[in-house]
Amino acid sequence: MAQRVVRPKTNLGPGFWPVTAFIVVLSAVCVYVVETLPLPIGLIQAGAPADAIDSLFRFLGAVAAVIFNVVVIYTVYFAIAFRRPKGAPASMIGVQIHDAPVLEFWWTAIPTILVIILAIFSTKIWADLQNSQGDVLTIEAIGYQFGFQFRYPKLANPVTNELHLPANTPTTIHITSRDVIHGFWIPELRMKADMVPGLINTIRVTPTVPGTYHIICTEFCGIAHGRMQATAVIETQQDFAKWFAKQGGQQAAAGGGSAAGAAVALDQGKADAGQTLFGQKCSACHSTGPFAQKLVGPGLGKIFNDPDHPKLVNGAAATPQDVAAIVKSGFTGDIGTMPSAQMNQLSNSDIANLVAYLVSLSKK
Amino acid sequence: MATIAPGVQTGPYHAVLDHIHPEPTSFIRKYIFSIDAKVIGIQYMITGAIFFMIAGMLAEIIRTQLLSPDGAIVSPATYNSIYSMHGSAMVWFVVIPLLTGAFGNFVMPLQIGARDVAFPWLNLVAFWMFPIAGVILFSSFLIGAPDAGWTEYPPISLQGPPGTNLWCIAVFLIGVSSTMTGINFLVTIYKMRAPGMTFTRMPLFVWAQFATAPLSFIATTALGAALAALFIERVFNVPFYDPHRGGSPVLWQHMFWFYSHPAVYIMIIPGFGMISEILPTFTRKPIFGYKMIAFSSVAIALLSFSVWAHHMFTSGMVPWLQLPFMIITMVIAIPTGIKIFSWMATLWGGAINWKTPALYATGFLITFTYGGLTGFFLAAVPADYHEHGTYFVVAHFHYVLYGGSIMSLFAGLYYWWPKITGRMYNETLGQIQFWLTFIGFNGTFTPLHWLGLLGMPRRVPNYDPSWTFIFWNRFASISSYVMTLGALLLVYILIDSLRNGKKAGPNPWGARTLEWMISSPPPYYNYKKIPAVLAAPYDFGNPLPYIGLEAAPGAVEATPTSASHPVPTY
Repeated sequence: MAQRVVRPKTNLGPGFWPVTAFIVVLSAVCVYVVETLPLPIGLIQAGAPADAIDSLFRFLGAVAAVIFNVVVIYTVYFAIAFRRPKGAPASMIGVQIHDAPVLEFWWTAIPTILVIILAIFSTKIWADLQNSQGDVLTIEAIGYQFGFQFRYPKLANPVTNELHLPANTPTTIHITSRDVIHGFWIPELRMKADMVPGLINTIRVTPTVPGTYHIICTEFCGIAHGRMQATAVIETQQDFAKWFAKQGGQQAAAGGGSAAGAAVALDQGKADAGQTLFGQKCSACHSTGPFAQKLVGPGLGKIFNDPDHPKLVNGAAATPQDVAAIVKSGFTGDIGTMPSAQMNQLSNSDIANLVAYLVSLSKK
Repeated sequence: MATIAPGVQTGPYHAVLDHIHPEPTSFIRKYIFSIDAKVIGIQYMITGAIFFMIAGMLAEIIRTQLLSPDGAIVSPATYNSIYSMHGSAMVWFVVIPLLTGAFGNFVMPLQIGARDVAFPWLNLVAFWMFPIAGVILFSSFLIGAPDAGWTEYPPISLQGPPGTNLWCIAVFLIGVSSTMTGINFLVTIYKMRAPGMTFTRMPLFVWAQFATAPLSFIATTALGAALAALFIERVFNVPFYDPHRGGSPVLWQHMFWFYSHPAVYIMIIPGFGMISEILPTFTRKPIFGYKMIAFSSVAIALLSFSVWAHHMFTSGMVPWLQLPFMIITMVIAIPTGIKIFSWMATLWGGAINWKTPALYATGFLITFTYGGLTGFFLAAVPADYHEHGTYFVVAHFHYVLYGGSIMSLFAGLYYWWPKITGRMYNETLGQIQFWLTFIGFNGTFTPLHWLGLLGMPRRVPNYDPSWTFIFWNRFASISSYVMTLGALLLVYILIDSLRNGKKAGPNPWGARTLEWMISSPPPYYNYKKIPAVLAAPYDFGNPLPYIGLEAAPGAVEATPTSASHPVPTY
């Protein structure tokens, strides 16, 4: 079949060189901006290794911006410059070129070189992290459903949901989990490791900027995963020493007969101690508002004084003893499982304190 | 008489190729339990489209929930099930079956000039496992759907609701189905090409299916074993993964990603193939660098087996082992880059006919490049320490899976729709649909990179109530409604085309590959006589026709010519 061949412009197109100049200028601007931004990902750097990892972000960002500019701008330009002209016959064809070995050589060679450079740069930063100093302070972090526990050397009892780190101290954190896989992430340090039961992962950080940051769980771990957060307090070494001493004192004083009695003696409960515990153990899933203010479970603010919900979730009357029984044994209902006191590491006196706190809430 | 190029030998024609099985007459054998690859392809398409709509609605529930930092509409437990089912359905019941089962079955045998796939009955079995597995998967909503994400990492998946068992069964079944399809396609492409269709004359979509098929049946076995172990542990209490009883949770991750990383390429290489078909047709040019594109598919397929642990940089493994996985992951960028540059060069110098498939192919080029570049951020181990498990990952894989796989699926759907149904679609609406999808998609997923870097973890029903988080989450959610509007418009376009579309004729796009040489929709037997292939598939300027028939499209009745090259051995 005879085909009428109408050849389009076989040159690079009318605007090729201006477009190329535009790409060069834009890429230069992008690289300049990425390299000079104080915070390339928009998040403060609270210590090592944030700086090293951000330098990798800068480098990757600059390379990616250049490649993206080249691909997108040329694509859009070709799309416009080489559209079929209005009124052109349907038999019009494009430039019949199959390949161009020199061009193909270069666009294989240049990405290969880029990959090598990126791999070397990443490996260098990776090696720096592996060799970084830790060990001045060694902490253990243990995840559980749904919170974090931190163990310090020379501290008898673990600290829950609040990690204190002294500034300018190379710190090693050994990370594991008691039940399922959790994540341990401090975004401001750009550092993360999974908390895997039966396995210890180790990270090394050197915090520098005092402040209060979040520790976020990044592996799905159950119903309250979205609320599994802890606080990382980076403080000066003096403040840390004060906190440490206070912690040791308090913990030693409370260390007495916690696991003793089998029955829960509720009359001993202290509402203020219960309030602290509630913040650590319960507030991931329960608010202190009215019943309807649900997080995962119902709000507990009026649990003993709620005409709309006179019964507990297990059908028992809302008495302090019955509430204590649920806290003790845990409960599995339609929306999920509330862990038992054993899982939550609550002693009987802890339960008494919690119930006392809930009673005080209902009186307000 | 046939047109024969100088230098092409003619040889004896094999009469055995002319044998045509009679077409079944009963409704059931024709439309329900058909062994015709074209019918099976359409069945895959319809089933996949239904699952796509369900999984898409789940996605909208997710985005609606995230309108408010405390979770707007569903409880955390429901939310967990919804995103888990969204991911599972999209990966195993939408993208993989649509790219291989649907388009592979309909287009690939036509493109190689075969009457059917090598094992039509196996094809029938493979298809019917798909809707059955889908029903099993979605019925898990009745007894408590799985809630630990599509990756179902133990030990949390061991605590999951009873529906997790159904999830194991459904994914196992779809894995077996995809293994069957993989073997079937590999044999079909290797043994059943028309005379004269050498490997270098194969359309690139066929090359893509050829590179994908071994991935399906090699990698899926690892997933099958992992799923069987998870099921046994959940039901019969044999501890494979529970660390408290000597199991290893990381074992699951290795087995799962040994499948799921190659699966990423099962989900994109056929898409590459579609783009490589569409660009030459609409630019009226040969594809630039045919061999490089074909071989890079194979290179990607091979490399994809040695990168799985880049999903596990924070999970705990010997530190030095992170380096080879990082480097091989980065190396994959080279063949991928070659493809992208080749497609750009195909656009250059074209006489581009801007129809919807071409728009989608170009949109794909942009979004997929973006997704590939963020992949680099994740491959670099130290950067991954920050990004792992955050919305950055979510944004990245939606860029490659929606911006890559789904965009190429839409491109392929518009491109082959006239062939499949014999009717054209409404071009204006098609282009509007493209822009809705393209703008909505970018608006949804670009902000998520940012959110992830700033500290938003994956799989959470609530988030930090600071204004940055609220603003960008709402921006993403509202953009996702635009994307959904695009998907709904597509449904209207297709129904409208079936009812009012004008007749397409055999070759509405003026393409050169074999499937366009026969009527639309193709007859039961595909080719009355098996055509002989004389030239490369995309030579629009070549006066020599692609097949040895009278060159006019649709002239299948003419005497075929046997060319110099292999005669199929079936």
